Amino acid sequence: MPLIELKSVSKIYPLGNQQVVAVEDLSLQIEAGEFTVLAGPSGSGKTTLLNMIGCLDRPSNGEVWLDAEEVGQADSKTLSQIRLNKIGFIFQSFNLVPVLTAAENAEFTMMLMGIGKKQRRQRIVDLFAQLGLQGLEDRKPNDLSGGQQQRVAIARAMAAEPAVVLADEPTASLDTQTSEELLALMKELNREQGTTFIFSSHDPLVISHAQRVVSLRDGRLESDR
Amino acid sequence: MDLFLLAWKNLWRSRRRTLITLAALSFSLMLVQGFHNLSFGVYSEMIDSGVRAGTGHLVVYQQDYVAGRDEKFSFDPQKLVSQISDLDGVEAVLPRLYLPGLAQSSRESRGILLTGVDPSAEHMINPFLKNLTAEQLPTLSGREAVLGSRLLKELQLKPGNKFVVTLQRRDGELVSEMFRVHSVVTTGIKNVDKSLLLVGRERAAAMAGMPGEVHELAVVLQDQRADRQVFPLLQALLHDRPQLRALSWDEAMPNLSNAIKLDYASQKFIFVIMLLIVTIGVINTLLMSVMERFREFGVMLAVGASTLRLRVLVFVEAFLLGVVAMLLGSIFGSLLTWYLSAVGIDLRDFIDSSLEFGGVVFDPIMRASWDLPYMLQIAGFMLLLSLAAAVYPAIKAGRILPAEALRHH
Ligand SMILES: Nc1ncnc2c1ncn2[C@@H]1O[C@H](COP(=O)(O)OP(=O)(O)OP(=O)(O)O)[C@@H](O)[C@H]1O
Ligand SMILES: [Mg+2]
Repeated sequence: MPLIELKSVSKIYPLGNQQVVAVEDLSLQIEAGEFTVLAGPSGSGKTTLLNMIGCLDRPSNGEVWLDAEEVGQADSKTLSQIRLNKIGFIFQSFNLVPVLTAAENAEFTMMLMGIGKKQRRQRIVDLFAQLGLQGLEDRKPNDLSGGQQQRVAIARAMAAEPAVVLADEPTASLDTQTSEELLALMKELNREQGTTFIFSSHDPLVISHAQRVVSLRDGRLESDR
Repeated sequence: MDLFLLAWKNLWRSRRRTLITLAALSFSLMLVQGFHNLSFGVYSEMIDSGVRAGTGHLVVYQQDYVAGRDEKFSFDPQKLVSQISDLDGVEAVLPRLYLPGLAQSSRESRGILLTGVDPSAEHMINPFLKNLTAEQLPTLSGREAVLGSRLLKELQLKPGNKFVVTLQRRDGELVSEMFRVHSVVTTGIKNVDKSLLLVGRERAAAMAGMPGEVHELAVVLQDQRADRQVFPLLQALLHDRPQLRALSWDEAMPNLSNAIKLDYASQKFIFVIMLLIVTIGVINTLLMSVMERFREFGVMLAVGASTLRLRVLVFVEAFLLGVVAMLLGSIFGSLLTWYLSAVGIDLRDFIDSSLEFGGVVFDPIMRASWDLPYMLQIAGFMLLLSLAAAVYPAIKAGRILPAEALRHH
């Protein structure tokens, strides 16, 4: 059984008295351990699709299966539990809570899970070492570079050992070199810990790193290779 | 605990806004505490001089004397005076007789209320008499009289002059007796200065044909707040005399008590309005801080925070704001109270006539006294208001949809 399975999923947004079909009748399977990129031009439905996989939004039609569980119509309390326990998120920018330090931000999901302070700190020490963030534990997000901020976001996403990490254009605000470094890091995490990664991007650089590229156009699957 | 830390940090991310809100909260708490304590001090003082000149903190009457002041309702106190004096917390028991009548000099006549008192017992207690020396007091059964200064003037008398008092005896006959102006008092209360006529109680009782009887036993307590403890003891003493009734000062002097209640009610109204306005300010602050964090809340929801946790976060922020305001406000309120009790407000700077309120003259320097239970209560109320102010912002925070919030930049 695949880790993630979408069965004829559609997402329709009301807009005034019209309807915007953001994703239309889309089916997709993603196995555990994959490193997949959702590619496609702006407005093609990448964010919408990631949000449904990530339990941030419900499909208008169809089923979303995550870890052998149908989550498409679950209530918001259940969805928030699933997000906490199974999913890690990285966004394009402004990912972090500005009043918390880098370490506190990275610990945030573990704190929500009720994991004790000591255990949290130990995990952060390991992750920060792995992500090249040593010495930055007590910095506030505003005192970190864009690349460092994204690495803290990766640390937060990875900290609670989720089944899948979803990243919506994680390198869109970064320069090429920083993007390369970040991608290398995530690939390493994928290889060493077997964490499933799903990205959205229209950056050819990111796409070139992917093991599998799912292309969208106008909310439909264009190609899958 | 982590949530408290996060809330505390959030509170200070917009430092100026938080400080302004705190200033509004603590300043209003300071005003409420300080000015309540000032009123509390002034009222206590008024009640104190009111009861000492008037009915005492507690009073014993026959039946409905208090309603109509009908001089028929007199009674023989028998052993009551000494029995009540022996109760714990009682400072003095003052037997009094009140007889309406007419005072005549060779030139003028005036309606008066002839008051028969025990001069030596009243001396230290009754503010009308406290400026007299022992020699200036009348005797219990003599013809010496103490007159209000206006009455003296209206009757065109001078100290040492004689005048005649006429009143109706118990049996219906009119009687007239001669008295002599022994001393004069100025209380500052127009009505009192116009009608005060104090004589020895035994003289007055003999004249009215009811020797040994009184209309009122005024019980003055050491501490005003002890009236609840002493009242039942007093009632127990009256148990075998069903025609006698014990009352507390606010029942016996409804004018004074109502004047205070009315004054305090209008003050309370201002307090409530002020606190409401401040609460609206707090709602605004909290709501703005929620709206500014729309995307941040979206991120927190995305990584697994529940909407409940966001709501609790907003409440904790309001709670911390309230606690700080409560502490700061109480410190300022205490400083204000300290100033108002040590220095006070000198009303002579504003008004030059004498100050009368509800039939009582009071000290022209208003001084606060500490009402700690009230200060705590109002500080707690402030905390509740902060929490109440968080209700709507917390609901707002709980309604944020993560997918929508994340689209915001
Ligand atoms: N809340 C919404 N209300 C109405 N229309 C929406 C809403 N969200 C998305 N859409 C529309 O759905 C379509 C797909 O949007 P989506 O954000 O998923 O695309 P995307 O591939 O992520 O684009 P981008 O590369 O610009 O981020 C677009 O036409 C967008 O305008
Ligand atoms: Mg997008």
